[in-house]
Amino acid sequence: MKIVRTASAIAFGVAAASLLAGCSAGIGATTDGATSTSTSMTNIVKLSGGDWFNRMETGNQEWAAENDFTVNQTAGDDSSPEKQIAIISDTIPQKPAAITVVPNAPESIEAVLKRARDAGIIVVTHEAAGIVNTDADIEAFDDEAYGAHQMDLLASCMGDAGGTYAHFVGGLTVTSHNNWVKGAEDQASSEYPKVKSIGDPISSDESADTAYQRTKELLATYPDLRGILGAASTDVVGAGRAVAEAGKEDSVCVIGTSLPSTAGDALKTGAVDTITFWDPALAGKAMLTIAKKLLAGEEIVDGTDLDIPGYEKITQSPDSATTFFGTAWVDVTAENAADYPF
Amino acid sequence: MSVLTRTPQFHIARLRGRNNEGVLLGIIALLLLLIAMFSPGTLSPAMFADILRSSVVNMALALGVLLIIISGGIDVSFTAIAIFAAYSTVVLMRSIGLDNGILPFLAAAVIGALLGIINAVLVAGFKLQTLIATLGSQGIVRGALLAFVGSVYISSLPSALAQIGDARLTTIGGSAVSVLVIPVILLAVGLAVVLRKTMFGRSIYAIGGAPESARRAGIRVGRVQTVIYIAAGALSGFAGMVHVALVGHASPFELVGTELTVIAAVVIGGASDAGGRGSVQGVALGVVLLALIQNSLVRLGVPGFWHTAVVGVVILLGVAIQAQSRRRRSKRSTILESAVTA
Repeated sequence: MKIVRTASAIAFGVAAASLLAGCSAGIGATTDGATSTSTSMTNIVKLSGGDWFNRMETGNQEWAAENDFTVNQTAGDDSSPEKQIAIISDTIPQKPAAITVVPNAPESIEAVLKRARDAGIIVVTHEAAGIVNTDADIEAFDDEAYGAHQMDLLASCMGDAGGTYAHFVGGLTVTSHNNWVKGAEDQASSEYPKVKSIGDPISSDESADTAYQRTKELLATYPDLRGILGAASTDVVGAGRAVAEAGKEDSVCVIGTSLPSTAGDALKTGAVDTITFWDPALAGKAMLTIAKKLLAGEEIVDGTDLDIPGYEKITQSPDSATTFFGTAWVDVTAENAADYPF
Repeated sequence: MSVLTRTPQFHIARLRGRNNEGVLLGIIALLLLLIAMFSPGTLSPAMFADILRSSVVNMALALGVLLIIISGGIDVSFTAIAIFAAYSTVVLMRSIGLDNGILPFLAAAVIGALLGIINAVLVAGFKLQTLIATLGSQGIVRGALLAFVGSVYISSLPSALAQIGDARLTTIGGSAVSVLVIPVILLAVGLAVVLRKTMFGRSIYAIGGAPESARRAGIRVGRVQTVIYIAAGALSGFAGMVHVALVGHASPFELVGTELTVIAAVVIGGASDAGGRGSVQGVALGVVLLALIQNSLVRLGVPGFWHTAVVGVVILLGVAIQAQSRRRRSKRSTILESAVTA
């Protein structure tokens, strides 16, 4: 009995302490929000840390310094939609002027974004074309145009002989990745009849090791596999490693979205041929600029100039009045990788 | 009452193995047969090597989990400990300029053991429920890693470590078999001996099977728990380093999220979630079964959208078979009891 009582006393103590810790954190955050209601914005991304969103945070802070706003970046510790919903819910009571959100699965956060808008917070999204509960969604480019662009690169790398290719996505619920897949497929079927997809995209779970293992299987299963397209930034890393191990750097083209720092030496060794991306720093700034314009009562329309490279003349989506596209993609090979130090 | 039915069941039980190892082997054989029927070209030496490759890290992780599950606990913090230990070791090596192929494995194991102390204190000291305790420590370890150690993707390892990761024991059908298989096998054999042949090993089963009886029999439950949580931490740290060396980069976002797959492999391998049961052989078969499934879906041409579901079905089947046979076993023992009293 005594032991049980001591244990429960300790458990109670721990619980009480953590409750107190939680409270104090909550109070701190609320005060912070209350004193700067109109000048703070929160950037909620897919996953905390990582080169991609660290670069976005760099852009956020540059923008914050030039404009009189404070910007905080926050995210869950893995890329699950549930954690992102919880984080957005926690942000609403802090009453930031605007939130800029990069969703993990746009459909799953519609409800919580609606709550944010109902609470009077401006919502700007990115990588979520067609999302309903947003004031404006800004895409670096039209996803299908980007997918088609990647297919152009792949087809020219594969040459006249063509062949089959496989497409990796970070997750089967990531809308943007799946739109790239569709854009690439459409481009292949209309422009490159000799380039054929092996079928459905394969999920890498945003893990280079999964991409590596699946690529080994692909190489074993499809002898005529000539190309791999990656969507998550680690896909080309894993795929490139498997291709290099098989000694097929020259016969298999590996092209996909990534960053120079993530692709690392793979570009130099030829395991990865070309990586494409958009600069997350500029995308972060574009979201914040839109939020600022909306706060000032301006409207975002077809042709609005955000005064950010690649976003000088944004176009409105034909499908959704709140979705806008820039033309902000960048192609990087071993030659120009040094120009992008992130 | 009816003692007559005992004899035939006894024979089947022997064939089945102490922890259903026989049944598992049967399932694996059946799967291989199915694969051979549906896709004859798939069963290749290269596939064997790929399965080995994807089993190595899970096996190393599973050894620690096995210890804890036998003792009647559950651990969900081991992946966080693994990546914390491995990633901080790489960060440390880079900051002090150390380049060595063996030391990082030892360092990661030591860091893992230190983190294991957190669990040991919570479980053996404060007598917290193991699931909740390790859920808490998972968050702490993960958070500390991202907040204090770093969240940057390190795309190239110190060269001696990278060499160990690339070193091949042999090459089967074009797929490399890493030298890191050897230490993992040695650890597995070592653990099997400890569990079966030592007083300490038998104490783990005892406290898992009936903690109160174990205590009355003179086993110091707290001390045994302390040792196994620290040992599990060390094994996790080592496994994390094996993962990092094999993938050739260090990313703080990997491994966490795979804990349920590893736990599933251990449970499929016959370890009882109620404690007191489990073997290294069973776990090895469980790990191989899951790797077999995960590495054959692309080869079998299963569409990407079905992969997760198929893996789920196999996990469910494996666990169901184990649960079913346990029920049968407990029925059998009541018959035995009545036979003794009769």
